[in-house]
Amino acid sequence: MRGVLVKDLYIAKSNILVTLVSLIVLGFGLSFLLEPSALLVLAPVASTTAVFISITSDAASRWNKNVITMPVSRSQIIGEKYVFYILLAILGMGTALIPCVILALLGVNVTLHALCLYGSIGMSATLLAGGISLPCAYVFDPEKSQIVFMMSFMASTGIIAGLVLLINLFIPVKHHILSAFHIVLLISVFWFILSYRIAAKIYQKQDIT
Amino acid sequence: MNNALKISGLTKTYKDFMLDHVSFAVPCGSIVGLIGENGAGKSTTINAALGLIQKESGVVSILEHESLDQDIKEQIGVVFDGSNYPEILSPRKLNRVMKNIYQSWDEQTYISLLQQFSLPPDKRIKQFSKGMKMKLAISAALSHHSKLLILDEATSGLDPVVRDDILDMLLDFVQDEEHSILVSSHITSDLEKIADYIVFIHAGKVIFSRPKDELIEQYGILKCGAAQFDALDRSDIIAYRKLDYEWQVLISDREKLQRKYPKALIVPATIDEIMLLYVKGEK
Repeated sequence: MRGVLVKDLYIAKSNILVTLVSLIVLGFGLSFLLEPSALLVLAPVASTTAVFISITSDAASRWNKNVITMPVSRSQIIGEKYVFYILLAILGMGTALIPCVILALLGVNVTLHALCLYGSIGMSATLLAGGISLPCAYVFDPEKSQIVFMMSFMASTGIIAGLVLLINLFIPVKHHILSAFHIVLLISVFWFILSYRIAAKIYQKQDIT
Repeated sequence: MNNALKISGLTKTYKDFMLDHVSFAVPCGSIVGLIGENGAGKSTTINAALGLIQKESGVVSILEHESLDQDIKEQIGVVFDGSNYPEILSPRKLNRVMKNIYQSWDEQTYISLLQQFSLPPDKRIKQFSKGMKMKLAISAALSHHSKLLILDEATSGLDPVVRDDILDMLLDFVQDEEHSILVSSHITSDLEKIADYIVFIHAGKVIFSRPKDELIEQYGILKCGAAQFDALDRSDIIAYRKLDYEWQVLISDREKLQRKYPKALIVPATIDEIMLLYVKGEK
């Protein structure tokens, strides 16, 4: 799996760098308008777009066909995309924390509560969106995977809103907002793992020509 | 080990095409040429053998293993038409990728093959010509101590000089009697140069699987007029076609039929002509 990950890092290197630099610049820019920690909502999602660049590149170069003849199993091929996705999300989150930490050191009000809240929302949206779009990229046309990703991100915001309303039936979200979003994050993690299982199962039976 | 690859009763059905109980073998130390017109089923056979597509029935045994696990994949080198590597990579970056994929990746062999083929290590693959991409794919396939090399239309669209380089490389590879090659191509002249066996697929069925020398030395084309054609024993005819001024009849034993029909003009048949008569001729 490591070799395939190295290949994806080569493919997406420039895109990853541009995204991370943009996040840092945006973090400082946003601090004049919003809480700097609000960037944590956007950062993991924005940084995972590189996965879809690699999926499109794999389809265009017919790497998908080639790699199956190599000592890499089909579930490892799918698993690598999920690992790459998570790594990018964490990298995006880490990068967004840089301006937050610097601004906090400069005296701007950045609370741990806000970081945890926005971080949970951002990571939940990323995992839900990835859980929808990654299997779709293999079931449907990989060329359209970036459009599917954008649509799944929109869907994920709707799902989060739905989950929060559902949780509100059991716990008053207004008073336990952080706990509510931690539950959403847990559900998103579970969904992401389930999505990998589904995608691996679908890919196992798929004809690659 | 007798066969590097053995395919028995391989079947796969599509809406408009069927691979129908395909069976043949690639003996160890030999080069087997898989021939047939476009759409005959060559690539489908290779894809099914490599597990790229799900087969409906049949058994594929590679290096005496029926399951294509990762240890077996380490020992197979595959080259498809086109390089099939991300074009943003350079050969040097590809080396870093491959050494993390193959446990048996031999960096020294890879670098020396790049030098042998005059491939620039730091140039992006997208800047390579088709011939260079193919040489790169072959270099990668030969750099992890493969025992079986499978090439699917790997020489299509290449100029004769590059094709000749590649054929030389394949001949070098089978000097080791543990090494074997299955090469599919519709450029039959290439296979006439290097193949030990020819497997001919037409409309999803194996028409024949024979040693190449037997085909070249025994098969022939009997050229005759209408009266002579009518006098031929039907059991001697494999296939025939009527041209403007003559009949061409494919036969499987030149010497025997020359004795039987002493006045007939019988000439050796090329693999191209054999294929053509099987496909376009009447039976």
